[in-house]
Amino acid sequence: MQEPFDPAKVDADLEVARPVRTGFLPITTNWFDRVFVGIYLFVALELFWMRFLEQSIPLMVCHVLAISLGVLIVWRG
Amino acid sequence: MRPNTVGWLMLAPTIAILGIFGIIPFIYVLYVSFHQWNPFGASPDMIYNGANNFRRLVFDAEFLTSIAFTMKFAFFAVLSEIALGYLLAQLFMKEFPGRGFFRTIHTLPLIVAPIVVGSVWRLMTTPSIGIIPYLLKSWFGYDLNIGRDATAAFALTVIMDIWHWTPLVTLTLLAALLALPKEPFEQAQIDGANRRQIFWHVTLPMIRPAILATVFIRLMDALRTVDEVWMLTSGGPGAATRFVGLHIWKIVFPKTDYGYGAAISVIVLYLTLVMCWLLYVALVARRERKRTF
Repeated sequence: MQEPFDPAKVDADLEVARPVRTGFLPITTNWFDRVFVGIYLFVALELFWMRFLEQSIPLMVCHVLAISLGVLIVWRG
Repeated sequence: MRPNTVGWLMLAPTIAILGIFGIIPFIYVLYVSFHQWNPFGASPDMIYNGANNFRRLVFDAEFLTSIAFTMKFAFFAVLSEIALGYLLAQLFMKEFPGRGFFRTIHTLPLIVAPIVVGSVWRLMTTPSIGIIPYLLKSWFGYDLNIGRDATAAFALTVIMDIWHWTPLVTLTLLAALLALPKEPFEQAQIDGANRRQIFWHVTLPMIRPAILATVFIRLMDALRTVDEVWMLTSGGPGAATRFVGLHIWKIVFPKTDYGYGAAISVIVLYLTLVMCWLLYVALVARRERKRTF
């Protein structure tokens, strides 16, 4: 027989599925927040580099820095 | 069947619609933004050009100016709409004769299409035939001509947006105010709080989610305004009201530069999300953290 629907159980499942924690970022985050911040900083850094630094330093350096920053934020943020 | 599966099944129609009309077009625009594509030109094929469209836009003075004007427009319009909307919501909370009538009539601008709002305001502000230049001239001696006065043109676009969208803010905040429980207000009055203290320490924190949701909706709308401004000023005089939506339109349609237009669209979406996220962090997330620790 089908188990009756219990909203409290769904909420409990959601709490398990989305753990939150605090790292060096000034807000409480879950993994999605950190990926989000990582991608946004990646794009901002790439645009800044293209505008001001690309003439003297190749964009590949920016790729490496931006990806490292993204990994750091997801890992420790 | 597990409860989660039921939840996913119930969400499936929404996810399908979001995917077909939101996510797939977004991925396509992202794809186009990395290409040079002029489908009506001599070479209609898409040519991959890496990040060149993005490299071009960070040096594009017209684009950067349009972003600055759009931010300025969004700031003044949204701030005024929230302030005015809140005052009107408070007014509609009070008992006065004809309250139901005024509550209904104040929402009328919402049902007018933006293109019609732009046309009506264009008629009202045309120097030779418009009522607004006529009244300003006869009452204050001020000669309003949005065809040559950049500041007046910009101010009028903001005023038009306020006229059109304040009722939405009023309705949202009115619903939030009506849903508030009476007990905290009674308790604050018993404790001797004055009206200003009640506003800052009771009302505002309790309607914060509604204000935040309204700010997000209006901010996103203000950043992609096209039709009203196109009808009122066509982006002029000069580039004084050439907001980013108009800039994209001019790049994509008259110039048929689809790749560059797609790149600008992606960056505008990026800026919109960043601004909303920063607002969320500033107004909600930090406060929650303070409460937690």
